[in-house]
Amino acid sequence: MPSVGDTAFRAPGRQWRSLAELERDPAFLDRAAQEFPILRDALSEPHKRRHVLRLIAASLAMGGLAGCYSGEPSGVLIPEVRFPPEIVAGLPNHYATAHVLSGYALGTVVTHQMGRPIKVEGNPNHPSSLGATDPYAQAEVLGFYDPDRAMDITRAGTPASVQTLLAALVSVQGVAAATRGAGLRILTGDTSSPTLARLMGRVLAAYPEARWHVWEPVNRDRAMRGAVLAYGQPVETVARLENADVILGLDSDLLGGVPGWVRYARDFASRRNPVRTQAMSRVYAAEASPTLLGSVADHRFVTGAQELDAVVVALGHSLLQGAPATLPGVPAWLAPVVADLKAHRGRAFIHAGPALSAEGHALVHAMNEALGGRGSTYELVEPVLDQPAASRAESIAALAEDMHAGRVTTLVMIDTNPVFTAPGTLGFADALARVPLSIALSKWPDETGRLATWSVPMAHPWETWSDARGHDGTVTIMQPMALPLYGGLSATELVGRLLGAEGETPRAMVQATWRDQLGGGGGDFDAAWHQALAKGVVPGSASAKATASLRDSAATLSPPPSPPGLHILFRPDPRLWDGRFASNPWLQELPDPLTKLTWDNPLLVSPDLAGQMGLRNGDKVNLRTGAGAISLPIWVHPGQARDTVLAWLGGGRRTAGGVGTDNGWDVYPLTGADGLAVMEPTGNQVELASTIHHNVIVFPPGSELDKIIKHATLDVFQQNPAFAKEPEKPEIYHRKPADPTAWAMTVDLNRCIGCNACVIACQAENNVPTVGKEQVLMEREMHWLRIDRYYEGTPDAPDAFFQPMLCMHCEKAPCELVCPPGATVHDSEGLNLMVYNRCIGTRFCSNNCPYKVRRFNFYPYAYRMNRPAVSWNNNVTMRSGGVMEKCTYCVQRIWSARIIADQANIPDGTIEVRTACQAACPTQVFTFGDQNNPGSDVHARKQSPLDYALLEDQHTHPRTTYEALVRNPNPAISKESA
Amino acid sequence: MSDLPVIEPSAEAGLVPTTAPGQSVRRLRLDDPALLPGQTFEIVTDRIAAIPLRQKPFLWWWIGMILVVPWVGGLMTGIARVFISGPGVYGLNWPAMWGYDIIDYVWWIGIGCGAAFISALFYILGADWRAGIGRIAETVAVLSAATSGIFPIIHLGRPWLFYWLYPYPNMQGYWPNWRSPLLWDFWGIQSFLVVTACFWFLSMMPDFAALRDRARTKPRAMVYGVLALGFRGSGRQWRHHRAVCGALAIVVLIAACDTHSIAALDFAGAATVGWHTTQMPPYFLFGAVLSGAAMILLVGLPLRRLLRFGDMITGRHVDMLCRILLTSSLFITYSYALEAFMSWYSGDPAERTMFVHRVFGAEEGYSVWYVYWGTILFNCVFPQIFWLRPARMIQPIVWFVSLCVLVGMWMDPYKLIAESLERTRLPSAWGSFHGSWWDWLTLIGSVGFFFFLLLLAVRLLPMVGIHNIRRLIAGRVR
Repeated sequence: MPSVGDTAFRAPGRQWRSLAELERDPAFLDRAAQEFPILRDALSEPHKRRHVLRLIAASLAMGGLAGCYSGEPSGVLIPEVRFPPEIVAGLPNHYATAHVLSGYALGTVVTHQMGRPIKVEGNPNHPSSLGATDPYAQAEVLGFYDPDRAMDITRAGTPASVQTLLAALVSVQGVAAATRGAGLRILTGDTSSPTLARLMGRVLAAYPEARWHVWEPVNRDRAMRGAVLAYGQPVETVARLENADVILGLDSDLLGGVPGWVRYARDFASRRNPVRTQAMSRVYAAEASPTLLGSVADHRFVTGAQELDAVVVALGHSLLQGAPATLPGVPAWLAPVVADLKAHRGRAFIHAGPALSAEGHALVHAMNEALGGRGSTYELVEPVLDQPAASRAESIAALAEDMHAGRVTTLVMIDTNPVFTAPGTLGFADALARVPLSIALSKWPDETGRLATWSVPMAHPWETWSDARGHDGTVTIMQPMALPLYGGLSATELVGRLLGAEGETPRAMVQATWRDQLGGGGGDFDAAWHQALAKGVVPGSASAKATASLRDSAATLSPPPSPPGLHILFRPDPRLWDGRFASNPWLQELPDPLTKLTWDNPLLVSPDLAGQMGLRNGDKVNLRTGAGAISLPIWVHPGQARDTVLAWLGGGRRTAGGVGTDNGWDVYPLTGADGLAVMEPTGNQVELASTIHHNVIVFPPGSELDKIIKHATLDVFQQNPAFAKEPEKPEIYHRKPADPTAWAMTVDLNRCIGCNACVIACQAENNVPTVGKEQVLMEREMHWLRIDRYYEGTPDAPDAFFQPMLCMHCEKAPCELVCPPGATVHDSEGLNLMVYNRCIGTRFCSNNCPYKVRRFNFYPYAYRMNRPAVSWNNNVTMRSGGVMEKCTYCVQRIWSARIIADQANIPDGTIEVRTACQAACPTQVFTFGDQNNPGSDVHARKQSPLDYALLEDQHTHPRTTYEALVRNPNPAISKESA
Repeated sequence: MSDLPVIEPSAEAGLVPTTAPGQSVRRLRLDDPALLPGQTFEIVTDRIAAIPLRQKPFLWWWIGMILVVPWVGGLMTGIARVFISGPGVYGLNWPAMWGYDIIDYVWWIGIGCGAAFISALFYILGADWRAGIGRIAETVAVLSAATSGIFPIIHLGRPWLFYWLYPYPNMQGYWPNWRSPLLWDFWGIQSFLVVTACFWFLSMMPDFAALRDRARTKPRAMVYGVLALGFRGSGRQWRHHRAVCGALAIVVLIAACDTHSIAALDFAGAATVGWHTTQMPPYFLFGAVLSGAAMILLVGLPLRRLLRFGDMITGRHVDMLCRILLTSSLFITYSYALEAFMSWYSGDPAERTMFVHRVFGAEEGYSVWYVYWGTILFNCVFPQIFWLRPARMIQPIVWFVSLCVLVGMWMDPYKLIAESLERTRLPSAWGSFHGSWWDWLTLIGSVGFFFFLLLLAVRLLPMVGIHNIRRLIAGRVR
């Protein structure tokens, strides 16, 4: 029987009026039921009960967070009356932690206001982050407060008490001890946690018959198998793109998806602006469906599956054996690419995506070695993940087979959702039904929890102790920074219970892992521990460089040829990853970088194939693979190979709360087969919500797009660095604001990779609401910062351009002129301010905005969001219905910085402000500051010859300007041969 | 106007009626005079006054009321809905922030300005045919302006704060932005409504006096007596009345021109593609006169029959209005041509793209071209039939063309407002606009509301100016 002081369940998710209630004294419960019959009824029915809890979620959160970061609290909780000295009203506190996705950590710093987490920033100390984040890490705030998070322990679908769960775990432990763990299986997602690995090691040692399976739907099995083929052992590639003069991506997810991509994007971008770098890199991408790398590459070659096989083989031949790259069946562009790669020995890097075969990966390793890049453009390090050698697909297949065969008696599933994500061939749900006792620990109620015997809420990483490793192995020890909102166990606690280690708190378990390393050599453990917590990284914990040398056989491997037919490619959803973020409305409504789709994951089909089959956007097709068949709509995707369709994993969640359920289509039933598909039109249609509210346009070269995205090749730039400048024209009326400070921004188009981190950062910082699919279909999305995507060329192989679009803060702002109540006005420092209180909603400002960056609350969207009040940024006004809103240059950040500078007597001209988009951006696209201050970055950026004002002919004199895009194509490759 | 003497209207003028009241509905003829012969002061006064003084309304009046009252209910529901839920109930969206709300407003205020323009201009010019149709024109003007006034309020995101457009004394440091065309527009509508209503009312004042004198019941005599403001028909009163009406007519003429010009400046004053052109004010005024003439004809032709005013609203009136309609149609055709030319001549790719979209716009699941060509057909092509003189006298044709022009003049701001916004400067913000059910309900409801007010006016007010007709008779007598 747990006492009041039990760590895991002293959660504020269980509200109690007296200790008697907390202890579930029957007499008290009777009395309470008499007094509040409605509450009794509501609590007795699980669905109603959840509803009740949801309704009071906000007040719970209030109570829970008031005294946060007390680490290991004990005793009875009373909300703080006087706050600890470090919590000051109006001032933020920052705590280092990490965002863990598929096992890899991205170091983050969470900003708190009055003890409440409200914003995530990157951790500059963390090598995977360097201060930047990805959209998922930015959206974690909303996930943390999600009222749909798991909050009830259920057994067979009915609410169960903590005691019965703990008793069940005790009996699991007893049985395991008696049977040496026979029939006990533990399934986790990818994890790099040294503590969890240590505990699992203990479990496997104590119960030798038990097995640890790993399943991650978005895995890099093939890459790892390729590494084993090439080096005889698993090694991980860590790219050093800042050193790469020539990059070739083969279906590569180097700028979105690969572990460490946030860091890679920074390194990549450092070589893309010819004004800021000595030598611009040249990037080639050969891929079946556009990736972010391909979208920003200098040359993008649309390469179908079979052609890609030929390309890999030919590359291998020419780079490893010196054969000419002009074989029959190999595209003409390959020879100049090979020549370019060879010309940059030691400065070239080839990267292959997870879809390439293991042999292909091994061959790429051999080619990279042959190009001499190891140690310069990339490193090989010891693997980061636990269980590196295991194939995820084989691991889950073996588990499913044992389950089907009835050899599994107890299945513990930790932070994984195999019922939804397991390959369709395995029939995992049926297999699970054959397991007598299954325990699912998850942060959200999910498909697995619904079918498992026990569904146990999992503590959010911000609520417990854990650790995780970044892409290069650097460890972050993650500290709890809030009391559990809805209760819940951590993974380490659950595994600890399996070991019978009830007394060990998560902190003790994590500390035990690190005691030797941090306190080793006679050092002071406590000091080192606190240092690691404060910095967010454990110094010197990066993975060791791998010493393995390339096997000779690697160079002679040849990938198995792809069979002819329609190939289906699976990629993680750019918004939902493998489906785990389905409950997050920010991510659901985040426009995909290229299609700008929200809320849905249709099948992406090439324009050619769609035209041939008479398919248009939204037409439903029946899609069949060797694993299964589903029906889903299509989206015509310019730049996709004709023989390939792309399916995004993660849509169509069936149990994911109010926001996440039934958006999109579940494609997992198609996975696990040979990669071929059959597609048939059905004649049905559905509406898909893209934030591009018109037919997809592919501009011909030399069109008016040249005025919007000013771009040129490196040659043109070298001849005329100021190609983007327009001659100044005389003007009669232009009075610049007189203040010494002039806030301004530059946006470097050379660096933008369209990753969307800024979009979510802006949404999180500025309390920008989501509106839902119906409203997106009505063209009413609210993003203050959007990333415009333009195509130029032909629909088969267009060039893509990204352009972040936010308020330009025009010195001569057309919006200000036309607002009848004067709700949008200029301040003396050049900010175009929006006075929400004054806005009566004539919307004239938006009509008059040439950039269309203003957003209108057609309904009170913010108040419609199911989101606790404490989760909003308290420094930013909430906007009511009927009010216009737009980017403010994060005016709250400007004033916070100014107040602090004032108090510290720092002169006004030197304060540094970072906007939310700027802080989040992996590639440092945004530069913000006082352009009148000659020492400021933004002043320097405005002097760039590439600097241009968008729609300059409108004479709006925007304070936000762009740096024109320069691409570095290979003169030896003409457009036609591509 | 000085050629018309100031005379004492009196039943003792000694004129003998040659036609009996009630037999006057007849075909239109091109050579009709403005007033058919056989009218006397007394007959005219009796016949016109008899209508508002009837004990019971006509049967057709009840039928009309039954038809329009549900739409008034629809309008009220629409207004209530937008107050409760916000402008999201309309089809508005991110690029097209203005939709039916402003389209309907421009349409109605255009009709109002046009009707007021016609009434005031020809009052000043002293045209004989103005006497028979002036009251209907002014009524249309006032009621259209009143109907249009609904839209600027309900189009707001927070309509209950509309009064912030007044520079009222307050403690919030609040002061309206006088640079905004929308603010001038707000004042424009109000001043127009005030001026036109004054003109309308003042011109009715002697008629109210006549109604007061003929009222058979005390309450009616009192009501019309109050409305007559003590008008007794003294020479002095007539002199003053005439002077004020003349002055007001000038003011109304100016107000009609500037109100719709200001509505045009809502667009011309914006930097938006498709809006930013100096031809907007005259273009809007041409459209106003076109739709005003069409609405006078649309309303006047049936009223002429129903109220048996065939000898006071004759072929001459219809002929003149048709000529005005044709003339303004030619003017607006010129505006359309200029619009097309300027979009090309400006050299601005955004203008050209928008114009091509407006004229040929068709993409998957969304076409707009028919709005443009509907505008051309209804506003430019159909009125050309009035070059044929006999066509002006065929009432079904005149009525149908007027109806088409009114539809066309609704499509005109539609293409201007919604379709310009669909093609903004940045292609990333292009979109498509679709009116919602609430948009349609409010639009049709506003039509119902207008005709509801019109039916009330027909019931309560003399729909032909008694004193204006008597002045015609007096002119003939001399």
